[in-house]
Amino acid sequence: MGVTCVCQVPVAEGKSVQQTVDMLHRKLEQLGAVKQGNFCVDCETYHPVGNTSGQPPKFLYVMHNSETPLSCLALFEGGPCLTADGNFDVLMVKLKSHFQNSKGHKVESRGARYQYCDFLVKVGTVTVSSSARGISVEVEYCPCVVPGDCWNLMKEFMQSFLGPSVPELPSVFAAKPEGLYAPVDCSDTMTQYLELFSKLRKQQVVSGSSVR
Amino acid sequence: MADVMNVGVNLEAFSQAINAIQALRSSVTRVFDTLKDGMKNKETLEGREKVFITEFQDNLQAVNRDLNELERLSNLVGRPSESHPLHNSGLLSLDPVQDKTPLYSQLLQAYKWSNKLQYHAGLASSLLNQQSLKRSANQMGASAKRRPKVQPSTLVLPPQYVDDVISRIGRMFPDMSIELFRPNGTSAVLLVTLGKVLKAVVVMRSLFIDRTIVRAFNENIYTEDGKLDIWSKSNYQVFQKVTDHATTALLHYQLPQMPDVVVRSFMTWLRSYIKLFQTPCQRCGRYLQDGLPPTWRDFRTLEAFHDSCRQ
Ligand SMILES: [Zn+2]
Repeated sequence: MGVTCVCQVPVAEGKSVQQTVDMLHRKLEQLGAVKQGNFCVDCETYHPVGNTSGQPPKFLYVMHNSETPLSCLALFEGGPCLTADGNFDVLMVKLKSHFQNSKGHKVESRGARYQYCDFLVKVGTVTVSSSARGISVEVEYCPCVVPGDCWNLMKEFMQSFLGPSVPELPSVFAAKPEGLYAPVDCSDTMTQYLELFSKLRKQQVVSGSSVR
Repeated sequence: MADVMNVGVNLEAFSQAINAIQALRSSVTRVFDTLKDGMKNKETLEGREKVFITEFQDNLQAVNRDLNELERLSNLVGRPSESHPLHNSGLLSLDPVQDKTPLYSQLLQAYKWSNKLQYHAGLASSLLNQQSLKRSANQMGASAKRRPKVQPSTLVLPPQYVDDVISRIGRMFPDMSIELFRPNGTSAVLLVTLGKVLKAVVVMRSLFIDRTIVRAFNENIYTEDGKLDIWSKSNYQVFQKVTDHATTALLHYQLPQMPDVVVRSFMTWLRSYIKLFQTPCQRCGRYLQDGLPPTWRDFRTLEAFHDSCRQ
């Protein structure tokens, strides 16, 4: 598990989400990247039942990542992050007196997984309740574990297929003290997906486009 | 054949000498004949003795005369020339049954070969002395003999000495940790951890670095049964490349007389990878080329280059 950056790629002007995704695939293949199957990251939102403290409710997010198919990740808003077994969802059903699944809040990103040298690239279509909202690109540089060390290198790589609109160092890393060390589990990656999903959930539906 | 005949033998004197030998032989035979016959019948005992002694003296004088003649001739015969490259074996050419026993031509052939061999061996040895690319045990033994200051054989340094050298080198570089293992007998295996960038397994033979494998910081260093994995290569292309370059460096830094300097030079070079992902190429100024960062480090300046940008 190396250093990962998840970013949103704007839909090209006059193009649909799918057309933009196809264009990214073509650019990656021109670089020499090889397609290696598919990937999926999803996120369910739970809201606490019986909020008595009067404070704004804190959400619980349960996420799955096809890279780690046997585990799932539970993130409590602004709080701890927990890596659990895959059947954590079953536990959430039992906890429904405390946390209720917010229907219509399910977000997922699906797409193709590419390998280029020591880079892994995942280009995904982000859907909120089955409607396409945008495009996510995840780039992982596997041999390095210190985000600050390889950031310039990753930026150069992303520029080669995303053009000049390359994101800044993800805040999840910027916020970390000194030893910018990506943990073995993918919580840093999932935190970035969660940020992206929250942003897209609030966005208006992209006009006239659907997943398939 | 002509030059073989001309070996400095006086043939005239030679044949005379052979005659002289025959003469000597017959005069010696005559001496023994008179002795064998004894005293012949004469009237008086005195007469018999007198005749016998005179005869015996005459014969001995003849032997003496022939012997002197032979000695004189043998000085005339002379000796085969010392300057002949094959010395006495050159006389083999005089063998009349040349066709049946081609000993002489075979000898000449063998002589030519051994001459050539010696010449080429001399050239090779002087060339090898110029290059200090010496890795074999024989060469090291030889160099140790020439320089009695170092240990009799640098291959059998005491483990304690190796430990000391390694720990001294480890203290030189604070961002580099060197752990020493001895999984198989006395030969040391070093696990070098460089910052949070890479881990290198360095297999030693005494103080000589035998081979090295570089892997990512987050890759497995141990096999499933908990032993140090000194064989499998990195999963990442960038570290496969760095491993190749490190192997080149092992061949570059060679100084058989001072193995500790070699280890130190190699570690200094390896340490320049601390900024493997942070340094752009010194030639093209970019970070990536074919998906790889600048993996080459100049042996002298330690500057970073892409493999294809170095010259
Ligand atoms: Zn270059």
